[in-house]
Amino acid sequence: MEQASAVPAIATRGLTKHYGNVHALVDLTIDVRAGELFGFLGPNGSGKSTLIRTLLGFLHPTHGSATVLGLEIEADSVEIRRRTGYLPGGIELYDSLSGADALEYLAALQDRGSKMREELCERLQMPVSVLRRKVRDYSRGMRQKIGVIQALQHDPELAILDEPSEGLDPLMQYAFYALMDDQRAKGRTIFFSSHILSEVERLCDRVAIIRSGHLMALQSVDDLLARRKRKVQLRWRGVAPDLAGVPGLADVEVDGDRMRATLLGDVSGFVRAIASPSLEDLTIEPARLEEAFLEYYAGDEASEEVRG
Amino acid sequence: MNLRLYLQTLRWNRIRLAAIVVASVGWGLLIPVIYVNFSDAIKELADSGAFPKELMNFGSGSLFTLPGALTLGLQHPIAIAFVAIFAAGSTVGAVAGEREGGTLEVLLSRPISRRTLYVTVAAASATLVGIVLLALLAGELVGVAIQGVGDEIDLAQMPLVFLNGLMLWTAFAAFGLAASVSFDRRAPAMGLTLAYLLLNYFLEILGSLWRDVNWSQQYSLFHHFNAGEILTGKAALLDFAILAVAIVVPVAYALLIFPRRDLAAPS
Repeated sequence: MEQASAVPAIATRGLTKHYGNVHALVDLTIDVRAGELFGFLGPNGSGKSTLIRTLLGFLHPTHGSATVLGLEIEADSVEIRRRTGYLPGGIELYDSLSGADALEYLAALQDRGSKMREELCERLQMPVSVLRRKVRDYSRGMRQKIGVIQALQHDPELAILDEPSEGLDPLMQYAFYALMDDQRAKGRTIFFSSHILSEVERLCDRVAIIRSGHLMALQSVDDLLARRKRKVQLRWRGVAPDLAGVPGLADVEVDGDRMRATLLGDVSGFVRAIASPSLEDLTIEPARLEEAFLEYYAGDEASEEVRG
Repeated sequence: MNLRLYLQTLRWNRIRLAAIVVASVGWGLLIPVIYVNFSDAIKELADSGAFPKELMNFGSGSLFTLPGALTLGLQHPIAIAFVAIFAAGSTVGAVAGEREGGTLEVLLSRPISRRTLYVTVAAASATLVGIVLLALLAGELVGVAIQGVGDEIDLAQMPLVFLNGLMLWTAFAAFGLAASVSFDRRAPAMGLTLAYLLLNYFLEILGSLWRDVNWSQQYSLFHHFNAGEILTGKAALLDFAILAVAIVVPVAYALLIFPRRDLAAPS
């Protein structure tokens, strides 16, 4: 693993973007550490793509500043893009080119070689026979795979991926997750936006949650989950366990020999309290990022778009 | 300029270019043939008074002299269509088309500045226009040689004719590119570019058909590409200067506007 740099991979300071009266980003301040896998969460229209497009120089900030790999986004955009890999959401490619030609063309424009292409094609199951076909004949998933390959083939220090697993089948999603794990192990930084929460939970070190352009939370996934309530269910024979005073236990519902409740924080006190030969069954559902996310979006129609 | 992007842009146009080059050579070849075989008959018709004399001219050209015929060949709608396919069609698609198709985002995520992108597609457009123009002139030269009328023009002036034509069509290409970088969709950019082209053409043709308003020709860029005058040793520096201004203004506009524009996500 390469030594992670002390310079943040991405740093925004009060970054704001307005389109007329629409406030797409409002005073956004985040740091993405070098070498981490950072998830950027929010439903459609929350400002995820606006941030990405601002970082890459497609949009100009209304206020505030940002650096990528220590370079100013407004002054050093070309150098940033030289050292970065980017997968746009719903990527479009040159239909008249074959997959292989499209990758070759984009690598040539990147001017940093394509040392990872072969490995990526193998891992994402894009054999030569498929790469020979025209892009216009590709399915949505195949286009997405080409998109992932073109973003990573030059082994960038930072990859910015906008909803990267969109359109991939479950098998390929796992291949993609393994790829992300390997990139992290190599010390590469991955910044990706998603609204697939299970994916973010599975992959990310830290997440930022954005709502209507405002940063709602910026935490490690572990911290975020530690503050979530777990659902617990238990069943017993005979005398019910005494759960009075168990820290974090709430919403207790008793139905005969069954009990449902929620548990916040450390589980050890709860486990000690229920430890008894009369305990017949116990289920503790893990805290899910989805619940944390929905909490930030409570009452917001946008939360309907979130998938687990 | 980005050489890889330049070459790829040419490559994408290669089949269309080949077809238009063949057609352009054929059209150029035809003009001296028409001049040699029909100019006397047309002149007789004009002198008989059967038609108003104005109808015997077309723009800055006519069929009564070889220089006039060559000018007419380069101002005829067929020749205009051949060159405009690249000067208007390709330029408009260069940025607005990529933007509409969603590929501009992939392209600009490479280390290519917007100014470099602009300069590269501008160079590719000028190259394509130049090749078509060369094909038209080559066809005319071959036709002149076949008909044996080369002594009626100063062939040494041909490079200047090419330069003058290239400047005219580069001016239209520069306008098309300026429109292309200003819009997110191809249709409005194409509409504006075609309107500019047709307005210039209208002013040129109107002035040649209606003597009372022949001043209108001065306001047409087409009027400042006059192969006939150059081939008879009467090249006007002012024509080149006007075309240079018509190139510089849209280029300066595009170089100023394009890097400052927000390129929102493709819809």
